[in-house]
Amino acid sequence: MVIWILGITLLIIVLFLVFIFFGYYNRIIRLENRIDNSWAQIDVQLKRRADLIPNLMETVKGYMKHERETLESVTRARSALMSAKTPQENIDADNMLTGALKTLFAVAESYPDLKANQNFLNLQDELTNTENKISYSRQHFNDSILAFNNIVETIPGKWFASFMGKKVREMLQIPEASREVPQVKF
Amino acid sequence: MEKKLLVEDQIRKNKRDTVLVCTFMAFLFIGIILALGIYLFGGNILVALIFALPISIGYVLMMYSISVKTVLSAARARPANANIREEKLLIHRVEEMSIASGLPMPKVYVQDSEYINAFATGRNPSEGIVCVTTGALYKLNQEELTGVIAHEMSHIKNYDIRVATVTIAVVGAISLISEIVFYSMFWGGASRGGRRDGGGIIVIIAFLFAILAPIFANLTYLAISRKREYLADSTGAYLSRNPEGLAKALEKIKQDAPSTKPKGSKTVAPLYISNPFKSQNISSMWSTHPPIDERIRRLRSM
Repeated sequence: MVIWILGITLLIIVLFLVFIFFGYYNRIIRLENRIDNSWAQIDVQLKRRADLIPNLMETVKGYMKHERETLESVTRARSALMSAKTPQENIDADNMLTGALKTLFAVAESYPDLKANQNFLNLQDELTNTENKISYSRQHFNDSILAFNNIVETIPGKWFASFMGKKVREMLQIPEASREVPQVKF
Repeated sequence: MEKKLLVEDQIRKNKRDTVLVCTFMAFLFIGIILALGIYLFGGNILVALIFALPISIGYVLMMYSISVKTVLSAARARPANANIREEKLLIHRVEEMSIASGLPMPKVYVQDSEYINAFATGRNPSEGIVCVTTGALYKLNQEELTGVIAHEMSHIKNYDIRVATVTIAVVGAISLISEIVFYSMFWGGASRGGRRDGGGIIVIIAFLFAILAPIFANLTYLAISRKREYLADSTGAYLSRNPEGLAKALEKIKQDAPSTKPKGSKTVAPLYISNPFKSQNISSMWSTHPPIDERIRRLRSM
């Protein structure tokens, strides 16, 4: 009788521990997948943005003949973005591109013909859209990392994580200048 | 960092409040079934339960299944047209907020109306619908529009459409049952006069409850609705990281408030970002939305 009770109690405890392990295992994997997925989101937007630039250059070229330097800095930022490998490199190059585009659009203000160009207006909308998407997905990426790190760093998640060989992930560093609210004014 | 925490605290508080109010609604529902049992079935609560539950569940399910279509057709909404620049920009802002919230992209609709307003519907987050009036598209700037979209996306994210539909349906079910109790008194009183003798005071209490329950149910529903508005404001501020955008939009909505009744169905009113039918600043137990000034104040305090 006593052995039975002891046995059943032991079984319940073991089952309980197994379930907790399953729970944490799945949660850690799910959170990790979320990070990868939200990086994929950023990546898609970065590519889309890089693809829009040649179009923009083509449209702008005819109007802004005397703004060689501005145009070149955009091209340079784009090629930096194309050759970037790590997430942080990608984000740094993207920030460079954001700055260069900001200058370009500011300069464009003094070209009324260009501003009236339907194609230019369209590209400007598209670029603003991708820029906002990048900053929101970056925000979502960091949120995902925070959720993952919270599990990996607190007890008992910490024990499961070290058993699974999972380590704390690093958030994207966002420079002071672009930390402000995404620019959606026109 | 402190800013963010405040928003998250607000979100948590609003959720707690909703649970509290929903519990009250559940008590009302149990109460009306008790009243039904006492009055109509001579104190047999089980029979009352067997009688009332299928009616109520059927009612709730029916309301739930027809809600989306009803809302869209009542608002006379049409899908957004990407060839019009304002509507294309609207689609852009919705795309951005769908990324910020991590929700799938909702369908985007436009309602032709000169007033600034917007609503969200859809049974669950994967089939969400966001609808914005043309007034909002032309009168709000993109920052304000983002704030409004963030508010609507929050309704989807927080399952508010489900909360609203189910509570409206429960209120309906409570009213229905109380009407059954009410009319059975007349019929019962006319044909089988002896019926009321059994219970005495309990019967009278049950009867009074049957009269009052629908009123309380309505008030409770309105309280839930107001809580969910605050919740959507704070979640929206968190998503867009910019409470000011929505605050400015609400200010414009306040100035823009229609002096005459706009067309459209009144049943849709609770779903809008601000009530299209009532004057904006009166804080009342009978309004679906909190006073707009208070909403602006809370947003600015984040």
